[in-house]
Amino acid sequence: MNCTLHLNGTETALGVDGKDMLLNVLRDEVGLTSVRGTCGIGLCGTCTVIVDGQTTASCILPVGLADGKEVTTIEGVPSDDPVKVAFEKANAFQCGYCTPGMILTARAFLDENPDPTDDEIAEALAGNICRCGCYVKIADAVRLAAGMLRDEKVAA
Amino acid sequence: MADPRSGGSLRYSQDVAVEGMWHARIVRSPYAHARVVSIDGSALPENTVLLTPDDVADLSMYGCQIRDEAVLSRGEARFVGDPVAVVAAPTRRLADAALALVEVDYEELPAVFGIEDAVADGAVLVHERHHVSENDAAYFGIRPVDGSNVCHRFRIRHGDVEAGFAQADVVVEETFTTDGAAHVPMEPHATLARWTDDGRLEVWSGTQTPFNVRMDLAAIFGVDQSRVRVVCPPMGGSFGAKTFVRLEGLAAATARKAGRPIKMVLDRAEEWQTLNRHPSRITVRLGAKADGTLVAKTVTCHADTGAYADCGPGVAQKMGFAAPGPYRIPNVHVDSHCVYTNAPPNGAYRGYGQMQSIWASERTMDIMADRLGIDPLELRLKNLLREGDAYATGEVMHDVAFEECLRNAAEAIGWNEGREGKGLCVLMKGMQTPSRASVAVDALEDGTYRVRCATVEMGQGARYAIRTMAAELLGVGVDDVSFPDPDTDVSPYDTRTTSSRSTHMMSRALVEAVRNLREDGRTGVGEVADQGGLDPDTGQGIASSHWHQGAAGAVVEVDEETGSMKVRHVHASVYAGKVVVRAAAELQNEGSIIMGLGTSLFESIDFADGQVMNANLSDYNVPSITDLPRITHDLVEREGAPVHGLGETALPPIPAAIGNALQSFGIRPRSLPMTPERILDAIDERDAQAGTRELEAAE
Ligand code: FES
Ligand code: FES
Repeated sequence: MNCTLHLNGTETALGVDGKDMLLNVLRDEVGLTSVRGTCGIGLCGTCTVIVDGQTTASCILPVGLADGKEVTTIEGVPSDDPVKVAFEKANAFQCGYCTPGMILTARAFLDENPDPTDDEIAEALAGNICRCGCYVKIADAVRLAAGMLRDEKVAA
Repeated sequence: MADPRSGGSLRYSQDVAVEGMWHARIVRSPYAHARVVSIDGSALPENTVLLTPDDVADLSMYGCQIRDEAVLSRGEARFVGDPVAVVAAPTRRLADAALALVEVDYEELPAVFGIEDAVADGAVLVHERHHVSENDAAYFGIRPVDGSNVCHRFRIRHGDVEAGFAQADVVVEETFTTDGAAHVPMEPHATLARWTDDGRLEVWSGTQTPFNVRMDLAAIFGVDQSRVRVVCPPMGGSFGAKTFVRLEGLAAATARKAGRPIKMVLDRAEEWQTLNRHPSRITVRLGAKADGTLVAKTVTCHADTGAYADCGPGVAQKMGFAAPGPYRIPNVHVDSHCVYTNAPPNGAYRGYGQMQSIWASERTMDIMADRLGIDPLELRLKNLLREGDAYATGEVMHDVAFEECLRNAAEAIGWNEGREGKGLCVLMKGMQTPSRASVAVDALEDGTYRVRCATVEMGQGARYAIRTMAAELLGVGVDDVSFPDPDTDVSPYDTRTTSSRSTHMMSRALVEAVRNLREDGRTGVGEVADQGGLDPDTGQGIASSHWHQGAAGAVVEVDEETGSMKVRHVHASVYAGKVVVRAAAELQNEGSIIMGLGTSLFESIDFADGQVMNANLSDYNVPSITDLPRITHDLVEREGAPVHGLGETALPPIPAAIGNALQSFGIRPRSLPMTPERILDAIDERDAQAGTRELEAAE
């Protein structure tokens, strides 16, 4: 089928099998290796992308269902985005494999809950596995990012 | 500069691509032991390549410590998942489709599962004979026992244990077990192989052991090592999983037949059929005088290495030589065995066998403390190795920090404010010995520097640490020092990136490299070699040129109705000597603690007749952010001390610290992980014993 994604703000037309998972299409057809598979069953969060504002496991989303939708990967998040900056400041990664999924999840979460408690942060990231075990610093990063985003709002 | 990890631009081994490559999938045995009778690829479409045992009959056996593996196993599968054929096609999707079209006929053969059955008289032999490998990973005097499933046995003979036990007022003897576990690196194993026009083999692979892979590939294909090149892009985690030959032989053999580059990336489920952690059974007998002085100890270890030895002999040996623990014990015997079974191979896993023996030994210490009525911290302090003491291997201990780490851990969990629900563990673990590391530093035209080094990056931050150390020595900023991917064609020899040795060894090699660069102006090479090793029959010698030291404390609560345990707080104290990059050091500590929690609480591979029953992330749980207790840790530094590796020191003490916290309630776990069912069993055992004692008292 012909499928059009609004991918990171750019209209992207693809000739693909609509049953192919979005993860494979983004990696193999578009060449976005920032979107990464691990579990393949929607449980680990490394393949997270944002589809029409919702964090989505791209490993279990047939690309046909994303037709015409806004899809954001980590490339769609500017490099001075507070969440990205906070992850760097807090050293919230080791191998970095889980990081794009973590940042996208945190990004969407902070949009909804700008002033989260520690428990809410953990709850929001419960579906993102980091086998390197960077969770302590990931939680630090999300707290830091929340503060930065609130400051931005006050300034604006 | 933005970090390539936060922007998602870092490319891993699985992202490597070259012109004309095809993708390959592995046809795997559904039986734990079977002979391949025939392979039928007649249903395959055009534009596929099928690699069968006939295609690789000319290739040699290999194995990093025992030469027991062959590409496609010469048609005899020895575990569920053993590769018996490979299919390749232009895309991954076509290769997936082709995989389903290959028909294999098998003749099933008898198999053996579990340590007990494998060492029983008349057990089915997984391999008839055990040939020690020529790879330099087989350096330590491997002692296979032909005609048995034991592919290595290691001994320590120190003092006279009989005389020692005769002096003891209390003797305790307990058997402990640990289940198999999976590494679960987030990025799966990934390899790309191609043959150049002039017949050289080039491999891009996520591996911690580039030079060992080169040696084994050269042996497999019968070519000189200089005809093989191994390049190591960064890995999305490894933890020991990506060591020695995994996919490299299969990819290279398929590329040879296909006449084009071949890429292999494992499916998640295949990870459990590729390399796991050794299940173990360890019996400890410990004797002490009434005042707590330890007088004798014997330890018998068995490590289940699965169907191929891989580095299991080395794991069993380290399991054995860490077993005495950081104590002065005048009489010690250790017997450690590496045992074949028809399970997927087990190999290096963060801590390399030492978690298992530390679990057994440190649990025994608390059982002993209970029997003696001595505080577990006091019992440990009384017997700890101190500066200048000799270990059970005869080596003299220097730069000793056990007491400091142990006291830090005890203080962090409030040991003195009541010890209900609290447990401690102290550990020593060895570093790869002997080992050799070399590094080259080049001065580039643009005034910056390049480090050529075979230390691989898997998230531990080694590259940044090495660049930092080089920059310091060169007197420039870190950004002026580059560190391209390790490449056996241009990086000087290094033993391997394991056992938390790289930062320590490279810190020393760099000093010489930079000195030589100053003299030469263009390039400088530095090399360090640590001598040592043990006599495999007596365990005397130098086990480790450099000991990793640490301790942990845990605070837990248990619901005695359900057996469910809540870990409230874990603290690890690790001797760092000198910290190079603080954030990376902290991350390694925290990551080790969290992996240790998984090992303690729920990580376990579930086997049924050799088949892994939970080969997915829904049935095999790894810690998520919601599983965490309060986590704290400290890095002990000392003026003038060398850099100590710390990539894994905080993992091995976690299970015993938690187990010992249970012991404070009289609950004595002996098996890892400590699941609610096992805790309930231990509670029943405690209550039954208390009942017996009451009855006896009443009589
Ligand atoms: S790969 Fe999609 S959630 Fe794990
Ligand atoms: S940083 Fe390696 S998996 Fe999260």
